[in-house]
Amino acid sequence: MSVSVLFRHHVRLHRVPLVPLAAGLALFEWMMTFVARQPAVSSFLTAALRAAPPEFLSLMNQDLLTSVSAQGIIGVGYTHPFVLIMMAVWTARVPCAALAGEVGRGTMNLVAARPVTRAAQIAAALGAFLGGLGILAAAAWLGTLIGLLGRPLPGVTAWRYLPVAAALWLTFAAFGTVAILVSALNREAGTAIAWLSGLMAGSYVLDYAARVWPRIASLRPLSLFRYYEPQRVVRSGLAGCDLLVFAAVAAGALLIAFVWFARRDL
Amino acid sequence: MSDAPLRTRGLGKRYGRVQALDDLSLDVEQGEVFGFLGPNGAGKTTTIRLLLGLIRPTAGEASVLGQPVSSPAVAWRAEVGFLPGDMTFWPRLSGLETLDFLAALAGRPPDGRAALLDRLALAATELARPVRTYSDGMKQKLGLVQALQCSPRLALLDEPTKGLDPLVQHGFYEIIADLKADGATVFLSSHVLSEVERVCDRVGMLRAGRLVSVGDVEALRRAERRRVRADFTADVDPTTLAHFGELVVGHPRRVELLVARAEIPALVARLGMLPLADLVVERPSLEVAFLEHYR
Repeated sequence: MSVSVLFRHHVRLHRVPLVPLAAGLALFEWMMTFVARQPAVSSFLTAALRAAPPEFLSLMNQDLLTSVSAQGIIGVGYTHPFVLIMMAVWTARVPCAALAGEVGRGTMNLVAARPVTRAAQIAAALGAFLGGLGILAAAAWLGTLIGLLGRPLPGVTAWRYLPVAAALWLTFAAFGTVAILVSALNREAGTAIAWLSGLMAGSYVLDYAARVWPRIASLRPLSLFRYYEPQRVVRSGLAGCDLLVFAAVAAGALLIAFVWFARRDL
Repeated sequence: MSDAPLRTRGLGKRYGRVQALDDLSLDVEQGEVFGFLGPNGAGKTTTIRLLLGLIRPTAGEASVLGQPVSSPAVAWRAEVGFLPGDMTFWPRLSGLETLDFLAALAGRPPDGRAALLDRLALAATELARPVRTYSDGMKQKLGLVQALQCSPRLALLDEPTKGLDPLVQHGFYEIIADLKADGATVFLSSHVLSEVERVCDRVGMLRAGRLVSVGDVEALRRAERRRVRADFTADVDPTTLAHFGELVVGHPRRVELLVARAEIPALVARLGMLPLADLVVERPSLEVAFLEHYR
């Protein structure tokens, strides 16, 4: 009961920014289907990618041969910084506002003084975050679907990108559980967002650095971005071990968040 | 557990080296209006937050409506109304959305809302506006409505009249009287003695985190003394006035006395016979008045 009331409350507070985020993602992925079919752009990209140093391609997290195809270019759209930033905005916003933000603003007093367990507060925040994240991932895929339905590309179907959208959702869902933990530990939304942004940026940089610098290659599994490889997902679907990593991170972060938040002063 | 709706034993809260509350043992009975007095930083808000389980005690225990505050059960909070000391809301929600959300969260119908809105003069048009457009006084009114709209058995109100104009304060006093008539228990913190005198049955005085004393408001009212200062144009014998009360200052041209309220008319009549230049009658500070009676 209280979880559903709180869930609706979070949705009401965050639904407005969800709309432009979703629209932006859909529009971007729709545009990528246009980019992928433009021969001039494709040939330009092909030339650019062939000329690019390996470090740059590592940064793009792309396989050269697959990226220069129409299918590959659409896949690039799912690792583009624009998409990652859109997803990161939601990932930071909802969990950090739902716990640390409410504490910092003082409205947590009103919520926690009612028959609501701390676990219910976390569950409601998690539900609102995951639901919104699902809408964003779906919007991105919808952009691909609409683009490909409007002007089909030979050998490319939108359904192949559904697992990519799922992987995008899973990656940021895992980050979101970390955001819940960070939020449960802090008293201000700003502080929580700063910590989370640092963690996400650090994870991204670690993944890149570990790919281009062999000496720290063994550290790459520590980055959640290591487990998000759209081109591989397009080729062979979601990998079970990646799912396990996301699940383990989510379970660990949520467990600590539940225990800590239940015991802390508000 | 005790039948008292509110009970603490040795309750304490320490923040690092700061002892915010120390060894609070208190019972508030059913239907009682209990005033918790003290200056800023005395520990009033800490006490209320401990009673709600918002913060955890570092010593002692508390029970509210028969339930230990530290237990994982939270159902008892449905019957508790809470007004925080610093009233903040979600700025983009309207007043009505705020009230609906908080009533839904309590899981009880807001059957007292209409009467509260009427008493506190909060119009429907004001409730339709976003809370960010509210003045501090309106936020306080909205805070009172959210705390009491579900007809709680126990109301915990932290400085409830802060920011209210005198007319609305009067409405608030009526609300407290109604709650008492309905058998609800009210625990309110304040640093305004007149307010506590007006609505409370008993008061507790908190100072630097310690409960200094607990007493009956009626007895406090009877015993409260005024500080009377009289200046004269010619020398008088201060000892001739000493029998009216306690002589604090006894100069020939200035006399200061602590006088029981009942003695004021006789003293004024006597002073009228002397070469009086000026007369000041002051209420003692809250702490002085309280401690004077209960120490």
